[in-house]
Amino acid sequence: MWAEAGVAQEDALDREQARWVMRRAASMLRPYRRQVVLAAVLMTLSTAALLAGPFYVRYGIDHGISAGDTGALNVAVFAYVITAGLNYFVYRAVLVVVSKVGEGFLRDLRVRVFDHLQRLSMPFYDREKAGVLVSRMTSDVDSLAELVQMGLVMLAVNMLLLVLSLIVLAIVSWQLMLVCLIVLPFVVAASIRFQRESNRAYLTIRDRIGHTLSRLQEGISGVRVIQAYGRQDVEVERFVAQSGDLYDAHMRSVRAQAWYLPVVEFAGLGTTALVIGVGGSLVISDVITIGTVAFFVLTLGNLFEPIQQLSQLFNTVQSAGAGLKKLFELLDTPVDVAERPGALDLPEEGPIEVDHVSFSYTGTVAVLQDVTLTIEAGERLALVGPTGAGKSTLAKIVARLYDPTEGSVRFAGVDLRNATQRSLRQRIVVVPQEGFLFNGTIRDNVRIARGDATDDEIDDALRAVGIFERFDSLPDGLGTEVRERGSRLSAGEKQLVSLARAALVDPALLVLDEATSSLDPGTELLVEAAMDRLMEGRTVVVIAHRLSTAERADRVGVVADGRLVELGSHAELLADERHYAALFATWVGGLGHPVRP
Amino acid sequence: MGSTLHHQWKGVAFGVLVGLAWTVARVSVPALVGGAINQAIEPGDKSALVRWTVAIAAAAAMAGLFTGLRRYWAFKVSRRTETELRDRFFAHLQRLPFAYHDQVQTGDLMSRANTDLQQIQFFVVMIPLTISNFVTVVAVTVILFTIDPWLTVLALGSLPFVNVLAKRFSTRLHPQVMTIQQESAQLASVVEETVSGVRVVKGFGSQRVQASRLRAEADDVYNASMAAARVRARYLPALELLPNIGLILVLFYGGHQVIDGSLSLGALVAFNVYIALLIWPLRMLGQIVAGGQRAIASAQRVQAVLATDPTIVDRPGALPLPDVRPPGAVRFDNVRFGYQAGRNVPVLDGLDLTIAPGESVALVGATGTGKSTIARLLPRFYDVDGGAVLLDGVDVRDLSLRELRRGIGLVFEETFLFSDTIANNIAFADLDADDEDIHRAARLAGAHEFIEQLPEGYRTEIGERGFSLSGGQRQRIAIARAILADPRVLILDDATSAVDPTKEHEIRDALGEVMRDRTTIVIAHRPAAIALADRVVLLDGGRIVAEGTHATLLATNDAYREVLAAAERHDHETEAVADVG
Repeated sequence: MWAEAGVAQEDALDREQARWVMRRAASMLRPYRRQVVLAAVLMTLSTAALLAGPFYVRYGIDHGISAGDTGALNVAVFAYVITAGLNYFVYRAVLVVVSKVGEGFLRDLRVRVFDHLQRLSMPFYDREKAGVLVSRMTSDVDSLAELVQMGLVMLAVNMLLLVLSLIVLAIVSWQLMLVCLIVLPFVVAASIRFQRESNRAYLTIRDRIGHTLSRLQEGISGVRVIQAYGRQDVEVERFVAQSGDLYDAHMRSVRAQAWYLPVVEFAGLGTTALVIGVGGSLVISDVITIGTVAFFVLTLGNLFEPIQQLSQLFNTVQSAGAGLKKLFELLDTPVDVAERPGALDLPEEGPIEVDHVSFSYTGTVAVLQDVTLTIEAGERLALVGPTGAGKSTLAKIVARLYDPTEGSVRFAGVDLRNATQRSLRQRIVVVPQEGFLFNGTIRDNVRIARGDATDDEIDDALRAVGIFERFDSLPDGLGTEVRERGSRLSAGEKQLVSLARAALVDPALLVLDEATSSLDPGTELLVEAAMDRLMEGRTVVVIAHRLSTAERADRVGVVADGRLVELGSHAELLADERHYAALFATWVGGLGHPVRP
Repeated sequence: MGSTLHHQWKGVAFGVLVGLAWTVARVSVPALVGGAINQAIEPGDKSALVRWTVAIAAAAAMAGLFTGLRRYWAFKVSRRTETELRDRFFAHLQRLPFAYHDQVQTGDLMSRANTDLQQIQFFVVMIPLTISNFVTVVAVTVILFTIDPWLTVLALGSLPFVNVLAKRFSTRLHPQVMTIQQESAQLASVVEETVSGVRVVKGFGSQRVQASRLRAEADDVYNASMAAARVRARYLPALELLPNIGLILVLFYGGHQVIDGSLSLGALVAFNVYIALLIWPLRMLGQIVAGGQRAIASAQRVQAVLATDPTIVDRPGALPLPDVRPPGAVRFDNVRFGYQAGRNVPVLDGLDLTIAPGESVALVGATGTGKSTIARLLPRFYDVDGGAVLLDGVDVRDLSLRELRRGIGLVFEETFLFSDTIANNIAFADLDADDEDIHRAARLAGAHEFIEQLPEGYRTEIGERGFSLSGGQRQRIAIARAILADPRVLILDDATSAVDPTKEHEIRDALGEVMRDRTTIVIAHRPAAIALADRVVLLDGGRIVAEGTHATLLATNDAYREVLAAAERHDHETEAVADVG
């Protein structure tokens, strides 16, 4: 209930940024214009109703009780009943309307940010860490959600309450209102200081919770190693130290509350004393009525409570603002690879021409330099070379996951940049090194490749890679949930799902990134057979990590230092005795002591 | 768990006392206000007014002081409890055997140590606050009764409903909040997998599929949030309305009584202030009942872990490792073992295996033949179901666990490194190891070279927040860790499977040195690694089916050739062409 939000110094918005964020948010709220106005009206009504209570009490005392007029008393009571009853419905409407606007806004924001994320190009994903991008959609949106769910109504109502209370108090008795104002500056100053302290404390707590939990996690996942080395005592000691730090951070936050609360409490009750003292003598001098004094005593809460609440909300608002700013910045990131106006559908098939292509990720270090090559339709080309030489980049450019910095890539004579995204993904498919699965069923995972595919087509795709029977024999068949990134399937099975996706699309050009890590021998054979079948009758570019793959290709291209240094058949290149031959020799030498039964 | 709470009782008691002092101060204020109106303002007595004002100010100062102390103590006690429980939870987990950890999921334990302990903390913090709130409610009721019983019934009659409603509100809202969390987690997982799998998504142009999945999740979050908002909309206005009913009745009935002269105006105002005073304590009492139910459920979940007995512990009078020369004799004597005792087919079924001090033995066999199990029984990660495992002639169950495990260095198939520096990861077995020891171990494991090339060498932080290493590099660090422990028996469980074949050659040479005069058990399927061992043992169905040197088995045993052939074909295919150059 305290210090549950905060914002780091570097993330806090300055005035100009805050204005910018407000403007952007306001423009996104435009579709909700009417509801926003409605909410504002309802909240004002609700706040007014809150203030009306003490007002009726005052009227009842002065005009009814003190004057001995039961009629006036009954009027006050009646008005009070009506107001309280109405406010029940108004307040209810406020909560619903504000949630509708706020949650609707959040939903729009999530969808827009996600759609934008998906439009961003591969170079963007290479630059940004996945974790940071995900946190935009989780913690940044969550900090906004907290404001929407808890804070927005509180914020508005408290601000209104504070302002309206001051106005009403001034109208009823300006003298007593001045008395109330004596302590107000102290409370405001204390609140500002408390807000800063609790913000700092919150950040420390958040940090240390993270550390404690990751140590906990490590202690659990690593318990076997810890026990194997008899290190339990040391690990427990370290954990206790870490959790002690967390305790200290919690206590720092509690200490801030422990001085701030008394200030607020004393200010509130102390002002009651002042109102009684000063107000009482004003009553005795006949300047004000007893009803007014009672009114003030009852309304004081409306003055101090809002300040206390606002000081707590301040942190929530700040962190929501910071989150919103990051989200808007993300939405402003330009989309690199977009479809050109008047883009063409790629022809059914044709040769791939890589024409003087250069590429760099950052604009400084060239990953590829002036690569030119033509792959005929139906040809199988293997790319080999050391890690980081640029063979993967070349393959990705051929599939237009990246656009070349210079030069161009053409499919059947059409520059890939002029192709429609749809036809591009129908003609060219990239199968990544590791079979990446999404949460969902096996069938869903194949359908990723083509959203409109029928179940029969998916079955056929799985048959094409020879895995249909294995999956079909599972208790839930193709409807089996793969769970947490396919933890239920073996690496080989995941790879086969990945290949089935390619089979479903049935592309003209297949770009394969061969797996480097080993599979269990059983599935390994299945995967190989599936790849062979898949490559049949297609143009193939394969990033080869195995000698056998290079051997089987029509031509081999050796990429070194960003250049295509050799191109020819396996036999030709071996005969040349240059890079490829050397590579081959190292590989054979590295085999160690091969044992052949 | 009970003991942890028990030992906080002094803190709780002090918190309650402070809370009571606050109650007295807080409750006296409305009475003083009423007194000021009746005895000073109405009679027009200015000097009495000064006295009443000072009295109210003094009560205000006391209330302020004690409200701070009350909160401080309540939180101090509850945070202390949470911290102690978490520490005990962690320490207890460290003592629970492998068999326990095999069954439970990390995520589940994490949520007990995190969410459940928070629920308990939240409950403990409420204890002193609730007691003083409760006393406040009782005290106010008593005071009001002495002023006017009928008016009290009217004024407070509606307030118990505040308590009931607040409890119901909290019970209804909680599941909705949980649903929001679940739905948000599902949304997050769509985002997470789309970002991690961006190559697949872009490669197949399946942005639209993912976008529609996200829309569905965003709608779920929206619906869950609106359901929670509707719960708030149903209860919050009612909670606001109820105290007003009391205020209205007091004004009506009390007002008429004042006009009749049977009640003083001061008492009427005091009634109003008292009702306002009771609203928050009553709301909190409602919340604590709901929170208490959740806290009990949480406490049971935490207790379930703490109450699990560690089954693998030192026997009374456990022995140190016997001082024999040369050390490292290992014997498996008719060992029977299954991971789920009695239920399944045993993994080891009457295994007999004797390894002489200093000898190195390779365990070979297809997956599931019990190779790794043998490696896990020797350090007593599990206890055998029948037979015995002996180290240097002593049953491992009679040895001190600490001594036993110090005597055995194990490199697991799956490498686990800690988020710490590389040096500390290597020095895991011996915190006092100096740089020289660490470097020597790293050299022997073939890790020194790449470590030196890292940005900060041995001081490089690895893990979650640090540098990420390749599988082969991680394995080499794990090997260095085992070497540094200088164990009597070294167990390498598929320890070089992720190491680049060209580098494996270097490690093999170094390992030869480590293994000299040291009992070593090698589990491997690459012939090159098997060749390191003096003797090869072929396993099938939890028993030894053949043994001998690599060369003789290769020449005479079909089954052995078959196992190796599968592994060799596998290796041949996976040798990295590209990364060699």
